[in-house]
Amino acid sequence: MMKGKTLFWIVLFALLAAGGIGLSLLRGGGTRAVISVDGQVYRTVDLLAVAVPYELTVETELGRNTLLVSQGSIQVLEADCPGQDCVRQGAITDGAIPIVCLPHKLVIQIEEP
Amino acid sequence: MRRTKKLVFMALLTALELVIWVIEGQIPAPVPVPGVKLGLASVITLTAMAVLGRREAGCILLARILLGALFAGSFSAVLFSLAGGVLSWLVMGALLGLFPEKLLWVVSVFGAIGHNAGQLLAAVAVTRTPSLLWYGPALLAAAIITGTFTGLGATYLVRALRVYADGKTERRE
Repeated sequence: MMKGKTLFWIVLFALLAAGGIGLSLLRGGGTRAVISVDGQVYRTVDLLAVAVPYELTVETELGRNTLLVSQGSIQVLEADCPGQDCVRQGAITDGAIPIVCLPHKLVIQIEEP
Repeated sequence: MRRTKKLVFMALLTALELVIWVIEGQIPAPVPVPGVKLGLASVITLTAMAVLGRREAGCILLARILLGALFAGSFSAVLFSLAGGVLSWLVMGALLGLFPEKLLWVVSVFGAIGHNAGQLLAAVAVTRTPSLLWYGPALLAAAIITGTFTGLGATYLVRALRVYADGKTERRE
């Protein structure tokens, strides 16, 4: 009895986790980086068209983030926030995981063009 | 459990949870994914809920969040802790009585899902970027994995702590 219930939950959670990972991998493609601040699109970058990596500074009244845009990837180099979570995260290359700088309301997501 | 004993016990659990939370915050996350961490502090919340009760666990959680903000946080960090913590507490509180102690880890997984959902919704509200919801499935998978481990941790801790809990709480087998 007990064993059956345990097994049920293990199988259910394994399926859910696999589904979650699968869904986010499905969204894993994409080459267009959308940089938004406070819900407004700040700039869109076609990451495939980047020949030479360059720095991009996003400065608003909330704070400043310096991004490094390279071919196929984008990352936050510097941020004047206390947390530094977005800097530590490093570069993202696909849409599976966004970069979020909460104090500056900055979101970087990669989407299909 | 006598009132004084309970108070001391709760204070101890609060201190434990705070220390675990602060130390975990100092360790770089094994996966560089925003919002994902093991959430070891929730072992104490769930344990307190199983051994002492929902209200007591809520008090310990709130005390940890507020004290944690003093030690290593900012106002917005408190907001996020609250969004995740309160939702997780509600979910675990609602489910705790429905599962036998052996399946405490299931309660923990649902609590972790509630925690991540609360934080994701807070992130959407703060950044006003609804497309962040696409991140939900990945956070769901993360919650299932972390919730299982913290839940197993809580299971062992509950077993060990029953000795001190005077048998006032019922044993669920």
